[in-house]
Amino acid sequence: MKRLGISVLLCAWGLLLTACLAPPTPVDSAPAGTERAGRNADAERIITIGAAVSETGRFSREGRDTRQGYLTWLDWVNDEYGGIEVDGERYRVELLMYDDEGDPDTASKLVEQLINQDQVDFLLGPYSSSLTQGTSAIAEKYNKIMVEGNGSAETLFERGFQNLFAVLTPAGNYTQSALEMLAARGAETVAIAYEDTAFPTNVAQGAERWAAAYGLEVLGVETYPREVADVSGIMSKFKELDPDIFVGGGHFNDAILFIRAAKELDFNPKAMVITVGPSNPKLITEMGADAEYVLGPTQWEASMSYADEYFGTAADYAARYEDKWGEPPTYQAAESTATALALHLAIEAAGALDTDSVREGLRSLDVVTFYGPINFDDTGKNASKPMGAIQIQDGEILVVAPERAAVAELRYPAPAWKDR
Amino acid sequence: MDQLLQTLLNGLLLGGFYGVMVLGFSVIWGVMGVINLAHGEFMMIGAYLAWGLFHALGLDPFLSLALILPLMFGVGYLLQHHLINRLVDRPHLMVLLVSFGVSVALANLVKILFTSDPRNVPVAYNGSVELLGLTLPIVKSIIFALAIAIMLGLHLYLQRSRQGKAIRAAAQNRMAARIVGIDINRVYALTAGICIALTAAAGAMLSPTQAIFPFMGPPFTLKALTITTLGGLGRIPGALVGGVVLGITETMVARFVPGIGTNLGVATSFILLVLILVVRPQGLLNGLRPIDAEAG
Repeated sequence: MKRLGISVLLCAWGLLLTACLAPPTPVDSAPAGTERAGRNADAERIITIGAAVSETGRFSREGRDTRQGYLTWLDWVNDEYGGIEVDGERYRVELLMYDDEGDPDTASKLVEQLINQDQVDFLLGPYSSSLTQGTSAIAEKYNKIMVEGNGSAETLFERGFQNLFAVLTPAGNYTQSALEMLAARGAETVAIAYEDTAFPTNVAQGAERWAAAYGLEVLGVETYPREVADVSGIMSKFKELDPDIFVGGGHFNDAILFIRAAKELDFNPKAMVITVGPSNPKLITEMGADAEYVLGPTQWEASMSYADEYFGTAADYAARYEDKWGEPPTYQAAESTATALALHLAIEAAGALDTDSVREGLRSLDVVTFYGPINFDDTGKNASKPMGAIQIQDGEILVVAPERAAVAELRYPAPAWKDR
Repeated sequence: MDQLLQTLLNGLLLGGFYGVMVLGFSVIWGVMGVINLAHGEFMMIGAYLAWGLFHALGLDPFLSLALILPLMFGVGYLLQHHLINRLVDRPHLMVLLVSFGVSVALANLVKILFTSDPRNVPVAYNGSVELLGLTLPIVKSIIFALAIAIMLGLHLYLQRSRQGKAIRAAAQNRMAARIVGIDINRVYALTAGICIALTAAAGAMLSPTQAIFPFMGPPFTLKALTITTLGGLGRIPGALVGGVVLGITETMVARFVPGIGTNLGVATSFILLVLILVVRPQGLLNGLRPIDAEAG
């Protein structure tokens, strides 16, 4: 009978992993004493917005950017802007955020809790497509609006949902400008590796599509599981294929793994295009010179020429953010602020707080913000915003495409590891 | 042919690292019957120590082992002496819960101290050399060589030294060991000290090859469980054999299965775990104790 011992212990551990971490605490909200009933009273009108955002777990880094992006908007709207104006009345905003630990089930549970127990009026999205997948289904079920800026997988918008809106460029277009530019510079072949979750899969499928469109031959496609610790199998396979371009679709940690493995195995593509990592200044701090020449798609950079009447130019926004958080904003932070701003503008346009009116407000929204144009199509995607590409050059993140936003010339081909 | 040799080489190097990574977990389990769920977190701490020493003092991660080993020995010794020894006699679930608690606490403590930004130790020599037509990654080769040296050292210590014999005696029969005058609590604290030190050392060695972040631990704990089961509890040669078998299996699958190879490699390790538990519960080499005491 003791034979069961081990498996019982392991099961217990598994249960603990999911259960023990579960008791959620609000990460941030209005002062603790704020009375919920208060929003019906005349004294103070409050709009409650809720979100599940990773504080721990695999998305803890990107989750922090998302949270800081939301809070940047929250402080601005309450303290500077004077609250959201609905039909002549000013409403303060209360934002409830819970830690989803990077786990889709936890995120969905928390969103259900936000809707049923906390009775939030609107929802903002979590970080990553895989968490947006489940949470948006919950929002749809309870007919709550969810505006998000960190789930770009196209599959999210192929489900006929009425209440999901995303301000960011869809994942399939992430590699477009980089591949277009590299093809124009003479690259002929490409190899693609991606994590088998929603967002990287869509990036990779998009990369295959754009590669075909620009006449690039796809030599190999490989997938890997999330929380992978070693990608040398993939990279040694690609080394033999010897592609001009390597495309890596994953999240921040994967960028470090790809670059490390390429150098270790002496795999020398002429260009490496990697999602999420390269546009974050932390990659340069940690990897130093090895991050040079790496390309990455970017939703937004502070050097882009967008502006609005709320946060000013993209550079103004970056200055405000750095002042507040002590670090420059990543595009994940900027798009999170833009997400909340889009909801804010739609509520004001609707002049009401019910789901139907705000949905209409979102559908008819057509603005240019510090983050770029926001104009949702029928499925809820932001159809109007192009994607940029950056390259790490001499320790700086510089926009190299599209041409009208570029501040530097592409460096291509990258020299072999041994010649650097 | 070259590809096959290169893949075998990569698998062997990975296996050597797995071997040294799993030592601490395996010996603690073998000697005390304790499954240390905070194993991955001690690796993570070792990696952060190496990162901190690299950035603060410019100390090479392999040289910093000279500081990390004694420091973490002390941590392990005190943790065992003051906390775990009180629990060893209680039902298994108690120690499991405590080590799980320690793992969550450590991961979150590190997150508060260092934030969740992924870190990396960019040593200057992280490239590769060509040898007989094969590509030899420099850092991973150093790790492999150190791993073999550490395993050999620990093996000799356990087999030849008086303290090592006391540790093995305590593993085989606590009651008898106590009767012949072995201070079980001290032996356990010594074991934990050595194991935690080696685990942190494995983390430090890993720091130049991949991202370091507070929540990197659990996958390593799971992998350690597989390798220990594969090799036999508390046996040093078993850890090496288990590590190399897993390392070569993973790289072979990743290299030669198109498209989903790397995915399959991770799944394969758990298929191996299930097979071993069913077919040969004492591990490939007989361990210090069987996983299931009644199975023999």
